[in-house]
Amino acid sequence: MSAKTRGTPAVPMFRRLMVANRGEVAVRIARACDLLGITPVFATSTADRDAGYLRGRETVCIGAARSPQSYLNMQAIVQAARQSECTALHPGWGFLSENPVFAALCETHGVTFIGPPARAMHLMGKKTPAKAAMRAAGLALIPGSDGILDSAEQAREVADRVGYPVLLKAESGGGGRGMRIARGPDEVAGAYADAQAEAIAAFGDGRLYLERLIEGGRHVEIQIMADRYGHVVHLGERDCTVQRNHQKLLEESPSPSLSAEEREKTLTAAVRAAASIGYVGAGTMEFLLDQGTLRFMEMNTRLQVEHSVSEVRSGRDLVVEQIRVAAGHPLSFGQADVVLTGHAIECRINAEDPANNFKPAPGKIVRWHSPTGDGVRVDTHVDSGYEVPPHYDSLLCKVITAGATRDEAAERMIVALGELVCEGVPTTVPLHLKILRSSAFRTNHYDTRAIPGL
Amino acid sequence: MPVKNFVLDARLTPPVLRARLAAGPDGRQRLLAPGVGMFRGAPDPGMLVGPEQPIGALEILGVVHHVLAPAGAGGLVVAPEEAPRGPAPARRPVGFDDLLLTLDPSATRSESAANATGPVAGAGASGAAVLRAPTSGRFYVRSGPGKPAFVKAGDVLEAGQTVGLIEVMKTFSRVLYGGDTLPSRARVVRVCQADESDVAQGDPLLEVEPADAAVDQNTKPHPA
Repeated sequence: MSAKTRGTPAVPMFRRLMVANRGEVAVRIARACDLLGITPVFATSTADRDAGYLRGRETVCIGAARSPQSYLNMQAIVQAARQSECTALHPGWGFLSENPVFAALCETHGVTFIGPPARAMHLMGKKTPAKAAMRAAGLALIPGSDGILDSAEQAREVADRVGYPVLLKAESGGGGRGMRIARGPDEVAGAYADAQAEAIAAFGDGRLYLERLIEGGRHVEIQIMADRYGHVVHLGERDCTVQRNHQKLLEESPSPSLSAEEREKTLTAAVRAAASIGYVGAGTMEFLLDQGTLRFMEMNTRLQVEHSVSEVRSGRDLVVEQIRVAAGHPLSFGQADVVLTGHAIECRINAEDPANNFKPAPGKIVRWHSPTGDGVRVDTHVDSGYEVPPHYDSLLCKVITAGATRDEAAERMIVALGELVCEGVPTTVPLHLKILRSSAFRTNHYDTRAIPGL
Repeated sequence: MPVKNFVLDARLTPPVLRARLAAGPDGRQRLLAPGVGMFRGAPDPGMLVGPEQPIGALEILGVVHHVLAPAGAGGLVVAPEEAPRGPAPARRPVGFDDLLLTLDPSATRSESAANATGPVAGAGASGAAVLRAPTSGRFYVRSGPGKPAFVKAGDVLEAGQTVGLIEVMKTFSRVLYGGDTLPSRARVVRVCQADESDVAQGDPLLEVEPADAAVDQNTKPHPA
């Protein structure tokens, strides 16, 4: 850092920042704030206000435990930011992170929303305009409906045209919610109703679109970072093929299945596409690797859970960069400065019972121990005595390991997961160990249809 | 003469919020903030407050909401234990559930006693069998808004039949009727939980009675 920026920066930095989220991501944002000398203020529900990760922190209680009354309550969160004198707000992931109305409400009340401009968020957050914009930027797409479906009957017509099986997806979806597969004409109406009900419950928006379901592909995504001066860089790709019910379990970078040419071609196109829509901040473009071709699926206009994989490989702090960019700074590095080294793997440890069909398992964690060691990073909000509330998602912790090779990273992960102690609630650690030890995973013979090792 | 240029001024009908009621020490009542905002206009210590009476104003994003005492609240306003030094601020920031006022209801005992009691249902007291929640979460009695309830009082259930949905961490699962201690065919006496209520594991969901017994009663008037 030059003497000029260390003294009086040309662009000032926020002093206080509202963390409008909970759990692991709230802790992650607060760490970036601490690095930048910003005081984080946590918006919290009654279910979280006594949690250990908020001890010694400034908090504002914004509502009752249920998320519509707290973490989805826009007015309460913006008012909390105002009265605690925060000039910026980080939405994390999930909840309101991809809601352009919320971003606009923040801006109206003089609180800088840390994310892309509402216009870019609106364009990319709604999946169908995003596909049109990406087609124009030269990315390959998955065949499907041209826009929002009006009815189950229309879904049936489009499905008949593109061919079965098809996937019905929520326009405002994310995190695997609001998606249903229809394998034949008879299943379309049922899948449409189920996906719509889940989408309304999770996102408050029941609009759906449809794509042909490509079975047996690999899920690959590209991390983008952009500033408001038109600089866009990528931080490589991540392979998130290992999923259960569209919930990512394990992510890695680089993708072991992607050819060097396709990688180079798509990374360049993704940067160009992000620049073409005036994107600012961190974002992710998700692709399906279908017989060697990366087909664009959707863009997430926010920080993602698995961003840490790219951080480990690039040595860049994406949350710090997000906050700096939101404060008006240019990117602190260019594409040439992004050096991706080695291999990184992340496991998402959830409070779910693998022995009981992955039933979510809220409860009290009697004893907790995070793994440590060379090349091991743990992001968590959990500590001994933490009570996992039943109202929110079940992510307890992310373990990220790095190694020179994929095998080294995998071996380190096996050791790290063996070291992790979580007494009181069941976790998905046994499942992760089974995956990591399977020959299907280690020899890279798997796709989205099945979890390797099961 | 017809009314011309009639303008409905939103300031004449400000939105209303009700404070939350919680029990405090020594039988006192604590009135808690119903939302996040800037609070002002609390009644002075010694004033009498009753249900549905104004206790101040909460400004949320520039919109002033009138705050009323909830039903069941009533008493004399108690001075805060730690009186702030210097003049009181014109308004102060409060978070959800922060303390707005403490009331001493002993002054209005006879009034509040009538409001305090409510019916307490004796779940399972009548000897009926009870289907309990298999897990903590939010209980739904119907598959979606506007859809019919899965079961209602008087329905006859068979083992394996869906009686509701439970959402835990955004995952929905069906609650199926059945269990070792429950009759395999049963008539619903009562649905214990309202739609979208939060239930803990083991909370009663349904009270049922054996359906065969009811059938016997119906067939009694026709002895062979």
